Amino acid sequence: MSDKNSSYTHPEALVTTDWVAEHLNDSTIRIVESNEDILLYDTGHIPGAVHIDWRSDLQDSTMRDYISPEAFAEVCSKNGITPDTTVVFYGDKSNWWSCYALWAFRLFGHKNVKIMDGGRDKWIAEGKELTRDKTKSEKTSYPVPAKRYDEEIRAFYEDALKFSEEKRPLIDVRSPGEFSGEITHMPEYPQEGVLRGGHVPHAKSFPWKRAANDDATFKSAEDLRAIYEGEAGLKQGEDIIAYCRIGERSAHTWFVLTYLLGYENVRNYDGSWTEWGNRVRAPIAKGK
Amino acid sequence: MSYPPKLDQIINLFEHLPDEEKRETLITYADQAKNQTPKEGESFDLEDVRKDEECTDTVGIFLRVDPDKSAHYKVSLGPQVQTLTRAMTAILCKGLDGMKVADILEVPADFVPRIVGAELIRVRSQTVYYILTRMKSAAKVYLNRKREEELS
Repeated sequence: MSDKNSSYTHPEALVTTDWVAEHLNDSTIRIVESNEDILLYDTGHIPGAVHIDWRSDLQDSTMRDYISPEAFAEVCSKNGITPDTTVVFYGDKSNWWSCYALWAFRLFGHKNVKIMDGGRDKWIAEGKELTRDKTKSEKTSYPVPAKRYDEEIRAFYEDALKFSEEKRPLIDVRSPGEFSGEITHMPEYPQEGVLRGGHVPHAKSFPWKRAANDDATFKSAEDLRAIYEGEAGLKQGEDIIAYCRIGERSAHTWFVLTYLLGYENVRNYDGSWTEWGNRVRAPIAKGK
Repeated sequence: MSYPPKLDQIINLFEHLPDEEKRETLITYADQAKNQTPKEGESFDLEDVRKDEECTDTVGIFLRVDPDKSAHYKVSLGPQVQTLTRAMTAILCKGLDGMKVADILEVPADFVPRIVGAELIRVRSQTVYYILTRMKSAAKVYLNRKREEELS
């Protein structure tokens, strides 16, 4: 374990690229790539890694929701994952989507999960091996989870509204321009169909990027505490909701707060601004 | 308007491919996108290199027009451009090659899902349409300039 990792509350949840390179043939581990770029895995991936897509594998294909426990068991089975498998996630975009996939795995109660610090970009920057070989997974028998843990780690519109009205900790992790309402799309992305700009009243702006270094690794525990405890004033034990546009950047922050800083009651509002900013009569605040 | 023959051929190819082969063919095209980068010493009638707010990286469109008004494109892509957009770049450079520059403005975008497949066009992969828009924009600027030159 690196010195940096040892100061996190749950250091076991974050592994280095070197650690992953040393465990490529470890049968107790399954490496999972999750990206925004839908074809990126096919252009080359870590040897032995499987691809789990945030949309086609983890979301319901009709309704805006996650898959059922039965479908989750099927996703795991076909990718050679058992309830005891340690799943190590990595991906593009500073690990947004790998954190999102990890969070989705936690929704179904899968406990042994890790993130590869620095994600795909760091692995490539270090000149480590990529392959286009198709990973063969021996099908497993993953039991259907008893439930989906929505109440524990997922927030809905009504929850966010309550937090807003009661001025409880609500963290907006989008860019400052999206928070203020100056823009209705992410910087460097097309408009994604949001009718109103701004933020949930009483939400605090702490863009996800503040938790990451330029090489996509997570900042040190000390730096993270300075941001989330010092500046944001978050306290251990209190309920916290994080949101962005569709829940992927807030999954990154959820991982930081839950695993790196040890907050026990953090929920990701995956409906996020694409729900809030389109909802009739949802209250909106503008400006900083 | 019907599609130009070269593009039509590519569309037909993709429409008959099973999903897995479609993905593999898209990756092959994405790999070929780097061959569309202008070579040193090449000259063009119009160069439009910019980083737009809606795209993750810089995209350069380079248009050369022959005396018979047929158009040829080269495209440079920054490293952060998505794989699907890279694939579409190679497809469009090949598919539109030799079209009359005025006809490029009329090329409909409805071929994109026929090539890519509806499943791959979704939130966070919408820039698949971006390259065609930029190519049309370059053609329009070129035609406007020519019109102004003729008037002056």
